[in-house]
Amino acid sequence: MSSTTWKSEYYIALECKDLQANAMAVDATGTYVLLAGRRYLAIKNLEDPELVQKFPRQSKYDVGAAEWNPTAYHKELCVISSNQRLEVLTWRQDELIQTHSLRAHTRVITDLNWHKFDSNILASCSVDTFIHLWDLRDSRRPILSLSAIAEASQVKWNRKSPHLLATAHEGDIKIWDQRKGTAPVQYIAAHLAKIHGLDWSPTSENHICSSSHDSTVKFFDMTNPRRAEYVLTTNAPVWRARHTPFGNGLITAVVPQLRRGENSLLLWNTANRATPMHTFIGHRDVVLEFEWRKQKSGDTDFQLVTWSKDQTLLVWRIEPFIQKLCGYEPVESKDSSDIIEATESLKLYGKSSPKVQPLQQEFSLLNVHIPNLKVRKMDPVARNVLVKATINNFTVNLKVSFPSAYPHGVPPGFEVIKEDSNVSDSIVVQLLQMLKHLAQQRVSKNRTCLEPCLRQMVTTLEQLSSDLESNRFDRQYIEPSSIFGGYNDAYIPFPRTSGAKFCSVGILVCFGRPIHPRKLSSKLDSTPRALTTTPRALSALENIFAKRNDDYMTVSAYYFQRQRSRAKHVSSKSSKAVVHIYDAQALFFFNRQLAEEYILDGDVGTICKHNAAAAAVVGRRDLVQAWTLAELVAGTQQADEGISWANHPFGNKLMESLISHYASQYDLQMAAMLCCIFGKYQEALARKSSVKSFFLPGQLVPGKRLLKSGSPYHTIPPADVIADGWVIPILRTARSTSLDNLRLEAPVELSMLKAPASNSLYEYYKVAYAETLHRWGLIYSRTEVLKYMCHNPESHTGVEFLCDCKNCSRPVKHTSCPACRQPTLRCAVCDISVRGAANACVLCGHGGHTACLRWWFAFQEVCVTGCGCKCLVGTASMFQP
Amino acid sequence: MVSLLNSIDTGHEDMIHDAEVDYYGLRLATCSSDNSVKVYDIKNGASTLLDDLKGHFGPVWQIAWSHPKFGNLLASCSYDRKVIIWKEQQRKWLKYYEYANHDSSVNSVQFAPSELGLILACGSSDGSISILTYNPETNNWDAKKIQNAHAIGCNAVSWATAITPIGNGETDLQSPPVKRLVSGGCDNLVKIWREDGDRWVEESKLEVHSDWVRDVAWAPSVGLHRYTIASCSQDRRVVIWTSNDCINWNSNVLHTFDDVVWNVSWSLNGNILAVSGGDNKITLWDQNTEGVWQCISDVAKGQGQINNQ
Repeated sequence: MSSTTWKSEYYIALECKDLQANAMAVDATGTYVLLAGRRYLAIKNLEDPELVQKFPRQSKYDVGAAEWNPTAYHKELCVISSNQRLEVLTWRQDELIQTHSLRAHTRVITDLNWHKFDSNILASCSVDTFIHLWDLRDSRRPILSLSAIAEASQVKWNRKSPHLLATAHEGDIKIWDQRKGTAPVQYIAAHLAKIHGLDWSPTSENHICSSSHDSTVKFFDMTNPRRAEYVLTTNAPVWRARHTPFGNGLITAVVPQLRRGENSLLLWNTANRATPMHTFIGHRDVVLEFEWRKQKSGDTDFQLVTWSKDQTLLVWRIEPFIQKLCGYEPVESKDSSDIIEATESLKLYGKSSPKVQPLQQEFSLLNVHIPNLKVRKMDPVARNVLVKATINNFTVNLKVSFPSAYPHGVPPGFEVIKEDSNVSDSIVVQLLQMLKHLAQQRVSKNRTCLEPCLRQMVTTLEQLSSDLESNRFDRQYIEPSSIFGGYNDAYIPFPRTSGAKFCSVGILVCFGRPIHPRKLSSKLDSTPRALTTTPRALSALENIFAKRNDDYMTVSAYYFQRQRSRAKHVSSKSSKAVVHIYDAQALFFFNRQLAEEYILDGDVGTICKHNAAAAAVVGRRDLVQAWTLAELVAGTQQADEGISWANHPFGNKLMESLISHYASQYDLQMAAMLCCIFGKYQEALARKSSVKSFFLPGQLVPGKRLLKSGSPYHTIPPADVIADGWVIPILRTARSTSLDNLRLEAPVELSMLKAPASNSLYEYYKVAYAETLHRWGLIYSRTEVLKYMCHNPESHTGVEFLCDCKNCSRPVKHTSCPACRQPTLRCAVCDISVRGAANACVLCGHGGHTACLRWWFAFQEVCVTGCGCKCLVGTASMFQP
Repeated sequence: MVSLLNSIDTGHEDMIHDAEVDYYGLRLATCSSDNSVKVYDIKNGASTLLDDLKGHFGPVWQIAWSHPKFGNLLASCSYDRKVIIWKEQQRKWLKYYEYANHDSSVNSVQFAPSELGLILACGSSDGSISILTYNPETNNWDAKKIQNAHAIGCNAVSWATAITPIGNGETDLQSPPVKRLVSGGCDNLVKIWREDGDRWVEESKLEVHSDWVRDVAWAPSVGLHRYTIASCSQDRRVVIWTSNDCINWNSNVLHTFDDVVWNVSWSLNGNILAVSGGDNKITLWDQNTEGVWQCISDVAKGQGQINNQ
C-alpha cells in the first residue's frame, strides 16, 4: 500500500486506490497529511512510511476543500467542507474527532481558508454569494458575513496583513477588510474567463496572483487594480498557481477536469516567465492538490506534497539547484536557520537532528538515474541502502551498510541478499570483490563511494551477463532510452508497425513487420490501442525486454516477446525493416506512355488523329474510338460549312457525355485531354459569336492565330491571352489606351455553350492532369495542358477612375463614352482629349496627360485649373498609411 | 495488376512507423523507433541511402514530404514532443525548423496542398493541432494552435484538397481556396476544421467510431461533385464519409477487419483506398459501378505476394 522507495526527485508516500480522496492538506508541522473524500478521511504520517490511518466517513457529499490550521497553537485542527457545512476536526492521540460543525451557507461551499495569524478565525465562501468569517469560540453563527452579489469560488486571507482577505468571483477579484465588512475595499477585473485560484504573495501585503481558465496567471498590485503588473501565459487552463516558499517561484497546476495528456505541475520563475523552470513528472494522472511541507530546520531542500487522481501521494524534493532557478540562494550555513523552529521540531519529534549528516547529504546527492538499477530504500538513520539491479535476466539485490565512521577511511559493507537474487555464487563473489576494492580506494582518500560503487556494479553485471547471454539470445533490437518514462503513455496510440501509402502517381509504398513474429492466435487477440496498456501486462511474461525501472517497452519487444514465447529463437535478421515499393499504375487509367505521346499543339483534327494513333499503340481501343469521334465533331465543318458538327447541338452533347464518362471512370487523362481540345474549339466559337467583327463567321480558329490579329501594343503575355479564351475585355484592353488598363471590370458574360458548373469541373480536370504530368516530370506536356486553363482577371479593389461624359453626364469608365462616342477625359493643361498615359489628382479630380502634368508640377504646387488644390501634397498624404 | 518495383532494406534498428515517397516518386523517406529518419534515392530501381537524419530523441511516428516548389522539405514528428522540418541543401539534410510547443507525443504531420502555401499541420497526444505557416517575407514559421481539438489526444490529421469542383457554377480556381482539414482522435471522433479569418473553427463532428480513430484521409475528389473522407479506427472498421457541402456527412462502413486498422491512404485520383492495420496486411479497395466498395487485392507484406481477387 505504501513504500518509501526514493525513486528520483520524489518518493511515493502513499498509494491507496480505495481512498478516492479529492482534497488533501498538509499540517503546519509538515508531518501529517489529511486526505479527504466522500467515503474516508485518512491521516498519513509523512515521518513514518508505513503509518496511515483511515476513518470512514458516512456522507453522501464529497469533500470540497480541506485545510489544516496554519498556526502552531491550534495545529491539531483541520477543517473540511461538505456541501453547505464546515466540519472542524481535531487530530489528537491518533483520533480524528469532529469538534465543530459550522452551518450558515445555503449552497455548496467552494473554498475555505484559516486566518494566517489568529488560530480561531476561519473564512468560507460559497455559491450562495456569501463569505462567512467564523470564530471557533462561537461556532453558532459567523462573526461576520460579507455579501458579494456574485458567487465566490475562492477565499484567501492575506499572508501579511491580519485584516485583508481576497475572494474570486468568476473573472473578478474582490479584496475585503474585515474591519469594514459592508463592501470590498478593492475590486479587480482580472480575467475574462473564470478564476480558479488565488494566492497572496508571501512577501508583500499588496500583491496577489490569480490563475484562470484563460491559461494565464496574472499578478496584481492591490494599490493599482487597473492592470496586472505582469502576466504569465501557459498553454493550458490554470487550476492553481501558488508561490513557492523560496525565491520568486510559482507552481501551476492544470485544471483537473480537462485531463489532458500533460498533467504535470510546472515550476516558474516569476521574474522570467517565458518557460517553466521545472516540470514535476511522476504522476500518472492529473494533480488534484499540492502543498508545501514546512521546511525542516537544517534542510536545504524544500518539499512539495502532491495528491493526484491516480491516488498516489508524492513528496518531491526541491533541491538547491532548482531553488536557484527561482532566484533563491539557499542558505549555505546550516546554523543560521531558524533556531526557534529547530528546537520546536526537536521537542515535538525528538528524532530529527538539526545537524546535517554527511551520509544524508550523500544520499540526497545520489543520482538515482542509473540504468538497470533501482534504489529501493535509503535510510540515513539506520545507515543502509537497498538497491536492486536487473540486467537481462540477472537480478541482484544488494544491501550496503555504512559504519558510523564512514567515509573517513572506513568502507561500507556490501551484502548480496541471496533469496531475492538469481545469480550464481561465483558472480556474487566477483561482484563483492570488485565493490570492496573500489570502496576501499575511495574511502582511503576520505571520499564517498556509494554512487561509483553502484555504477561499477551495473557495468560489471552487464559484462557478465552479456558473456553468458550472447550464445543464448541474439537481441535484435536496441531498447530506446527511458528518458521519456514520465510521459503519459496511456493516451499515446500504439505505434503503427505496418502501413501502405499511395505516393506520387500510382506508387504504393508498403512496410510491415517481418512475417514470422506474432501470428494472430485468435480473433480476440487484437492489437492494443495505447503505448502502455499491454506492455505492462506483458512484462510478466518474460523479463528479457522488461525495462530497467520503467513501464515503457519497445514496440518490437511487444511482437518479439510473443514470438519468443512460441518459437525458441529468431530466424533471421535480414528482413526486419524492409520497405516495398509497388507500381500500382496498372490500377489506374493514367498512362505515362500516352502522356508522352499525346500532342495538344496544332489543328484540332490533326491532334485527334495523332492521339488516336497513340492510343492504338498502347492498346486502348476505347480511346481510339473517342478520339475519332472528337475529330469528327471538331473537323467536319471544313468539309461542310453550313451544317458543322460544331454548331450542331449533338456535337456538344457528344463531347460533354464523352468527358463526363471518362471522368466518372476516373480516367482523368482522357477527360482532361478532351477538355483541352473541346475548350479550344469552344473558345473559338465563343469569340465568333460575340465579336463578329474579329473573325469570319464559321471559321474555327485555334487560339494562337488570334494573337496575330491582335494589337501590337498589348503588354499581356500571349499565353494568358490564349488561356483567357472567353474573356473578351482583356483582348480589347490590349488594344486600348492605358487609362483603360487602369480600369478593370468583371468579365463579360458570354453565351457559353455549356453550363458554368461543368465548366469549372473541366478546369479542375485540367489542373489535376497537369499535376500528374508534373509528378511524372513531363513539364512540356504539363505546360501544354495549362495553356488551356481559363483565368478570370483578378477583381479590382482600390481606387477606380470614372469620368463624367461631357455630353450625357453619365459616368464612364472608358476613354470614350460608349453612348456619345466622345473622348471623356480632357487634359487640364493642354485641353486635348487624353489617349495614352494619364494621371489625375485624387482630391480635386483634375488631371490629364502624364507628360503635361509632369511639366506643370515641375514648377507649380497648386492645381492647373486654379481650384486651389495642392494636388501633389494632398495625394501624397492621402496614400500615406 | 500491381508489380513490385523495389525492395529496400532500410537498415533501421527498430520498427518502421512510416514510409513515404516524394512528389516525383524519386525519393523514399522512412522513420522508425530507432529515433532516426532515413532518405533513400529510389530513382530507376536504385536504393541508395542519401542521409540518415538524427535529431529526434524518441521514436519517430510520421513523416511528410512537401511540394517541391518549396524546396526539398521533409517534416517528421516524434514521441519526444517535437516536430522537425528538414531541408536539403547541397545534398545534406539539415534541420530547417524545430517546433517544440506540444505537451505530448506528436503523432501526425502533413503538409497542406501547395496551393495554400507552405503550411504544416501537426496532431498531438496533448489534444491540440498545430498549424505552422511559413511566412516567406519574415522567413519565419507562424504557429497557430487548435487547443483541445480532441480530448485525450489527436492521432491523425489530413488536409482537404485545395480545389474541389463543387457545383452551382462558382469557379473554385479563382476564389481563394478554403483551408480545411480533418482530424481523428482518442475521443472516437472525426472532426472537420476550417480556417475562418485567423481562427480555426470546428465545422463538423463525425461520430460513428466506437474506439480511438487512428487515421483519417481526405480523398482528392477528382471528377466528383462531393467531398470524401476515409477514417479508420481501433474498432477495426474503416468508414467512408461523403458530403456535398462539408456540413452534412453520410457514413458508410467500408469493412470490419480482423484487427485494428492503422492506415488509410487514397490514390492520387481518389478512386482506390489502401488500408492496413495490426494484422500486417494491406488491402486495396475501390468502388464498383454500383457504388459498392470491394476489395481488389491483398498485398501480404514481407512476402511481396499479391493475391488478386
